Amino acid sequence: MKKFLAMLLAAMMLLAMVPAAMAEAQEPITVSVFIGDPGDQPTDDNRIYKLIEDELGLKFEFEFLAGDLAETLGLKIADDVYPDLFCGSNYAETLENAGVLIDLMPYISEEKTPNLYKHIYTDDRIKQLLNEDGELFIIPNYGINYNEEIRNYCNGPAFFIQKQVIAWNNYQVPTTLNEYFDLIERFLAENPTTADGTPYQGFAILCEGWRHFCLINPVQHLMGRPNDGEVLIDVTTPEYKTETFIDKPYSKAYYAKLNEEYHKGLISKDTFVMNYDQYIAALSNGTVLGMFDQTWDFGTATQSLETSGMYENTYLALPLVYDPEYVDGAVIEEHYLNGSVMNKDRGFGISTTCQYPERLVQMMDTLLSDDWQKILNWGIKDEDYSVTEDGRMIMTREQYLNRSDAQWRRANMAYSIWDQCPKKQGTQDDGNAWEPGNQPEIYFDQMSDYDKEFLTACGKKTPAEFFNAPIELAPYGEAWQIDKAPIDIDYNDFLNIQDRWLPTIITCDPAELDANWDAFVAEITPSATVYSEFMQAEVLKLVEAATN
Amino acid sequence: MSTVTKASQPAMPALKKKKGFWSTLGKQWQLMIMSVPMLLYVLLFNYGPLWGWLTAFQDYQPKKGLSGSPWVGLDNFRFLFGREDFLLAIRNTLAMSVINLVFGTVSAVLLAVLLNEVRNRTFKRTVQTVTYLPHFLSMVIVVSMAQNIFASNGSVNQLLLALGLVKEPVFFLGKGEYFWWLVGVINVWKEVGWNTIIYIAAMTSIDPCLYEAASIDGAGRFQRILHVTLPGIKSTFMVLLIMNIGHLMEAGFEIQYLLRSGMTMKYSDTIDVFALIYSFGSSKPHYSYGTAAGMFKSVVGIILLFGANKIAQALDEDTLI
Repeated sequence: MKKFLAMLLAAMMLLAMVPAAMAEAQEPITVSVFIGDPGDQPTDDNRIYKLIEDELGLKFEFEFLAGDLAETLGLKIADDVYPDLFCGSNYAETLENAGVLIDLMPYISEEKTPNLYKHIYTDDRIKQLLNEDGELFIIPNYGINYNEEIRNYCNGPAFFIQKQVIAWNNYQVPTTLNEYFDLIERFLAENPTTADGTPYQGFAILCEGWRHFCLINPVQHLMGRPNDGEVLIDVTTPEYKTETFIDKPYSKAYYAKLNEEYHKGLISKDTFVMNYDQYIAALSNGTVLGMFDQTWDFGTATQSLETSGMYENTYLALPLVYDPEYVDGAVIEEHYLNGSVMNKDRGFGISTTCQYPERLVQMMDTLLSDDWQKILNWGIKDEDYSVTEDGRMIMTREQYLNRSDAQWRRANMAYSIWDQCPKKQGTQDDGNAWEPGNQPEIYFDQMSDYDKEFLTACGKKTPAEFFNAPIELAPYGEAWQIDKAPIDIDYNDFLNIQDRWLPTIITCDPAELDANWDAFVAEITPSATVYSEFMQAEVLKLVEAATN
Repeated sequence: MSTVTKASQPAMPALKKKKGFWSTLGKQWQLMIMSVPMLLYVLLFNYGPLWGWLTAFQDYQPKKGLSGSPWVGLDNFRFLFGREDFLLAIRNTLAMSVINLVFGTVSAVLLAVLLNEVRNRTFKRTVQTVTYLPHFLSMVIVVSMAQNIFASNGSVNQLLLALGLVKEPVFFLGKGEYFWWLVGVINVWKEVGWNTIIYIAAMTSIDPCLYEAASIDGAGRFQRILHVTLPGIKSTFMVLLIMNIGHLMEAGFEIQYLLRSGMTMKYSDTIDVFALIYSFGSSKPHYSYGTAAGMFKSVVGIILLFGANKIAQALDEDTLI
């Protein structure tokens, strides 16, 4: 009897060991993920996350940003335990500088992670990605194109105007600052309120936190340059002359114009004390006629306008430039669209307290494979999209509209993982676009009838046709990506002085405008000098690294 | 607070009999055990974090930790006092504290006196409940309500326009000069009912005979308030005043942080907001500056507390310590 029991016990132990051994390769783990942007929790039965869980044994526990990004990150850094996958969004440098992230290079090799290897090694990308110590903390989440790049619309900075205003103007599109404000003035004079009596706001300026680029960035674009943050760089000269533009006379013209419009009632005082949520709410109500912003920054407002069928209140992006009168008669050519730039230092990093970094790098590699990219971008074949006989991937109108429905996305897309993981953009080897929104037939066929008619009436096929073709990316990339940590106190002063003065200049009595501007320039000059000297040196460093 | 002094009195005769410390301790073992949780709480949450003050003398970097970060002496303090925005933060902290203290105390005493005179219990209870309910609202909600009420097209401006008091809407939220007063008003709205409770409690302990005696002597209602009610709450008032003076450097953090904007920055940032922004608010966190600012605030707070206590002693009033 004893023997029998002993054998039974041994057998049971053996049985118990088998699954353990088998599971070693793909032991299910729960990965904690921090996303540095506000977002929606996916549902528990999300189809795509379920698939990832089944295939890779990874389950995600998301924490989304609630509150201020820099402070949330600062508090997280002060903690002892970090989320496994750490997305610092626009403050990713903070994580790198604090030593919270691990170097990913030891986990990336041609054998183990072929997809990632190909992703970052082709076209000398690795040169730009590695830091001085040869380390890589974050693999860019956007900006690495495969095959041909497709651009149907402007996703970056522009002046925006409600489509109904353009329609009202017989589809004549303004191209300069004066034309733009003149159009809004004329529209407002005839249509002071919406159909239900809410007054329109002519021009909104978001000034909150890091989103104050809506207030401080426009001048470089009016001067005909793509987005370099707070500096204007002369790329035509070999020395890449870099200067802050906000303190220059050509900037005064813009803020003086805003002052004029403020006194005409186009700009509400409240715009300067509005937070991001209030801004998105105002845009979503369809009461804001125009603003300077970047398309991705108000995506939620566009979505809610489309969901409620208010297509005439959605926005058209316009590449405005200064009228010759502001720049000594010079005619400026617009360059809002820049060559595709790698979103360096944006995306997921893996934290030092993560127990299984190798698994997560492997995951990024697996998800970067063609099959997974199709699933993440397009969904499941025959459920979310179908393939025609000649191999084109297409979506029905309903399938396409689902993708902009926040509720549907929670249950049917692995949005956050797709958003922050390295991904393929451009076109697939078979000519289909990697992103459904870029697939030409989908982009045109699935556009709302309003948009189709609108574009046809304007004589265009895509919103991107309102812009000049992208210019070649400068060798330094885009200067806003440069990490300002070494001079951050001066940089913060530089920004704070603008936050404080520019609303005052816009709202002041026109008689005091000159005095206020001079006081502003006097106050900002010291920090602006430090900042522009720093940027000049950094830009030259990057140019040198790229050309060697 | 008067209960504290009374509770410590039985210990006095024990001392007079020259019994040792340990025997007193033994006799009061129940009290000692009861105070242990509070002692632990204070040690853990109030004394424990003081360890972190060391970072005020370091160029603290989380990567290197407390032991690895370089020591910089008083450099952080030198940096702070060389910064205009820190000096402004001190000014703003003190200004908003004083406004809060005056507004808060005056409104609370006034409401307490008024409520004390009300004889209709239902009315009194209703007013009390309605006025202290906002205390339980989160500051985020209170501030967003205030942002709507004080907006250019908010109800306050509409009222002012309708009454013809102003010609165009007042920009309450964007004018730095209004910021302190706005904070004062919002704090009164939120806390007046709550602050009243302690004064009402003090008033109920006033002997009704005093009121009767005053009436017989021919004192009217206002004279009774002036000569009976107010002197009756004087000791409570003094204790609260001393405590509040000790907290003078704590002008609050949430309300300023939520209500601030680029335009009001020079008036809105208190030392706490300053510390938060320098610690976490840029691409390179400066924890040491934040700690130094916080440490400065605490030290001044302690000095103020002892100072106020000394003055109260000199005036022969009830003291806290």
